[in-house]
Amino acid sequence: MALRIEKTVQVNQPIEKVWALLTDPRKVATCVPGAKITEQVDDKTYKGTISVKVGPAVSEYSGELQIVRIDPENFEIELLGKGQDVRGRGSASLKMTGKLRVVDGGRTEMTSVSEVNLVGIVAQMGARVVTEVSNVMFGQFTKNLQARLLQPEGAPDDPGAQVKPVKATDVAWEAGKRLFRRDS
Amino acid sequence: MITKTSPEVGGMGHSLKRKEDLRFIQGRGNYVDDVHLPGMVHGQLVRSPYAHARLKSINTEKAKKLPGVLAVITGEDLAKANLAWMPTLFFDKQMVLATGKVLFQSQEVAFVVAEDRYTAADAAELVEVEYEELPVLVDPHKSLEPGAPVLREDREQKDNHIFHWEVGDRQATDKVFQNAAVTANVHAFFQRCHPAPLETCGCVADFNSATGRLTVHLTSQAPHAHRTLFAIVGGIPENNIRVISPDIGGGFGNKVPIYPGYVCAVVASLTLGRPVKWIETRSENLQSTGFARDYHMTAELAASREGKIQGLRVKTLADHGAFNAAAQPTKFPAGLFSICTGAYDYPTAFCEVDGVYTNKAPGGIAYRCSFRVTEAAYLIERAVDVLAQELKIDPAELRRKNFIPKAKFPYKSPLGWSYDSGDYESAMKLALEKVGYAELRKEQAEKRKKGELMGIGISSFVEIVGAGPSHTFDIAGIKMFDSCEIRIHPTGKGICRMGTKSQGQGHETTYAQIVAQELGIPAADITVEEGDTDTAPYGLGTYASRSTPVSGAATAMAARKIREKAKKIAAHLLECSADDLEWETGKFFVKGAPSKAKTIQEIAFAAYTNHPQGMEAGLEAVDYYDPPNLTFPFGTYICVVDIDTGTGEVKVRRFVAVDDCGNVINPMIVDGQIHGGLTEGLAIAFMQEIAYDENGNVQGGSFQDYLLPTAVETPHWETDKTCTPSPHHPLGAKGVGESPNVGSPAAFVNAVVDALAHLGVKHVDMPIAPWKVWSILKEKGVVS
Repeated sequence: MALRIEKTVQVNQPIEKVWALLTDPRKVATCVPGAKITEQVDDKTYKGTISVKVGPAVSEYSGELQIVRIDPENFEIELLGKGQDVRGRGSASLKMTGKLRVVDGGRTEMTSVSEVNLVGIVAQMGARVVTEVSNVMFGQFTKNLQARLLQPEGAPDDPGAQVKPVKATDVAWEAGKRLFRRDS
Repeated sequence: MITKTSPEVGGMGHSLKRKEDLRFIQGRGNYVDDVHLPGMVHGQLVRSPYAHARLKSINTEKAKKLPGVLAVITGEDLAKANLAWMPTLFFDKQMVLATGKVLFQSQEVAFVVAEDRYTAADAAELVEVEYEELPVLVDPHKSLEPGAPVLREDREQKDNHIFHWEVGDRQATDKVFQNAAVTANVHAFFQRCHPAPLETCGCVADFNSATGRLTVHLTSQAPHAHRTLFAIVGGIPENNIRVISPDIGGGFGNKVPIYPGYVCAVVASLTLGRPVKWIETRSENLQSTGFARDYHMTAELAASREGKIQGLRVKTLADHGAFNAAAQPTKFPAGLFSICTGAYDYPTAFCEVDGVYTNKAPGGIAYRCSFRVTEAAYLIERAVDVLAQELKIDPAELRRKNFIPKAKFPYKSPLGWSYDSGDYESAMKLALEKVGYAELRKEQAEKRKKGELMGIGISSFVEIVGAGPSHTFDIAGIKMFDSCEIRIHPTGKGICRMGTKSQGQGHETTYAQIVAQELGIPAADITVEEGDTDTAPYGLGTYASRSTPVSGAATAMAARKIREKAKKIAAHLLECSADDLEWETGKFFVKGAPSKAKTIQEIAFAAYTNHPQGMEAGLEAVDYYDPPNLTFPFGTYICVVDIDTGTGEVKVRRFVAVDDCGNVINPMIVDGQIHGGLTEGLAIAFMQEIAYDENGNVQGGSFQDYLLPTAVETPHWETDKTCTPSPHHPLGAKGVGESPNVGSPAAFVNAVVDALAHLGVKHVDMPIAPWKVWSILKEKGVVS
């Protein structure tokens, strides 16, 4: 199942600060629900895990994340990730391009385009469920990112730090909210 | 003509309430999952998340360590016993548990056995399988492209082509098309569907090491055939195998094949010496067991300007998934698809079908369909509508022009069938009158002026059921006869045992009515028993609408054998010659002296207490019926739809179904069959598809995505009948279970296309979901 997810968010932080965080996968991982960087292979390649709960299925992907392209002049970054579920229940791959730009005097707008390809039990849930899960995950990611950016410079990086995976109830809540919005 | 018996006797034509329903509606049926045996343990399959991947390793250690786990079986384990593969019902083989690689998502990879079902499910999660993903083929057209990955490395043939089959005269047909004044064509994809019986598949395998006997309680539509296959494949003496099909909650073809879960449960029971239960979940049923259809079809019709059809040319690509697990007669790789010439009279036709492998679940089975007849009926009925559109002739008028005339039966079709009887025009006439066709056309014209969308769809289908004559029909070598054994007890009550197996068809009632008809013993006094291979006579089972045409005939023939013997006993009792006796429902009497009579009950008692010297005691008979031909039920269905231009939603306003299944055994049961089949047809036309994404992920693998119609979606069905008896069936009956599923999809789709025809729409593939219609409306500028 191939999904294309486009997101745009604004954070109340200068572009350089956001860029510094975004280009360090170890720091980014601490903001992604359920994700963890376990090993740095070289300056562009990292190993890690991410746990995603969709309905009754919990997938724990273990794999590699690679920075394919990094363009500090235009604040663009391209990432490639792929992983397999540790219990052999499927695989996932991700191609993400992120771009930052300055808006409204000092605020930073972050645009990301992700192409996610899923195989396995999770992919059977259908786009409407998986999209909902990714919406919830992205929402939490943004919240965590904002919080992380507010931390003082030089705060200790906790490589073991990990944000809990998204709960199914959150997804149901989000889906429910959308349903009511559609009706009203 | 069938003599109507009294309501007390309840022979043919009486709407007797179904005997079996009393226990069903009280929740006292006995289904496989109701079977609980002492010491019984539970199995759970581990399935592949990938549609195509190499198996690198399977680690069962963690699973085996879980308390309560008794065994974890893998393909390698089965390979040691030469059981990693099993034959399918159609000249192919299928992996029981995967070795080497997996070929479809949800394929069976390992089998876990534990003390209880929860532990088994937990342990299945602990089985660690390492896969290496391989390129996936989901489009059957791509399977045939040069350089496509070869899915079946086990075969000598190194491509994905399974078979090519053709019938008819290719050259003559081509010539007809070259010279035709008008041709019309339609590309119709009959999507992959699933029968989705309410009860999923399952079994309890019980090997008793003390007696050496294996008893398998099995959701089987064909218990006898399954026993034989277990004996041949498993090497167990057939007398030591007992298959019991208990109550079955719907089959629709889904419970004809043998599934890996059954084999695993048997192997586990043989290994552990304990009964092993395996019951599928809903998702397992939808994702791995026999699907139906998945035919990519093209039909072309050649005709004169006046609308006389001259020839038909059909080309089809059949997607069988990873293994050709079709369940159909041996000589027919595309089933009875060659019935695709339909209800129409023309001399020339040619039909070819190519079967291919893809990374999808194996099949395809005959879903409420006598082997690809649904596909055929849908195709010709769609093609005739397209031709009508091309010629600007009313679709009813075009049909009338081309129907095989009543006088031409038995009719030899250009693709080789001999239609037994038919009166297609009368059925259509009745349907047109009932629906008020002329007024509807007027209404449609007025609505079009106002921009409203309304359509009328006709389907004048012909079925071919009741396989079948032994000269042509067998499954895995076993001829497709069927059987009935009747025993009349001393007190005049009796039991019928059959080679078929009801899955909800009402056999316990209808077979009893046939005995009642033939012997005059009230249907209430006849017990019907099926499904136990230790007690029932051998038969090929229930599917393809064959119970009435084959076993129903066997029941009539066995009853007639009993009547012959009863006549001799009556002569003995009345001290006259058997030649002087005459039969009237329920009794023999002396010609000219009606008061000198013996009832069948008196005769039955005498058969055990006062039978003539030199005659065997008892009153019983068995008949193995080999039908001389198939039967050809037919009918005309008319559907009226309104389309909401805002949402694209199609609303079925009316649906008139006129069926002709020859003489009817139980009108209420026939109506029930038609209601059920039409509801399934509605679901296929508008709601259901087992779709796959480009990676081979199942997109219809649960009831969240594979929708079942409820009372809310289901319109009111208006049914009626014409009656054209089968000339060769002893009761003149034809079979009806499948007609509504076979005939209705074309009626629904023809109605939708008819509503959109003035916009230039020729065809819409099923399932016709609102988004699909809305997209067309948008494309045609009806909505912005």
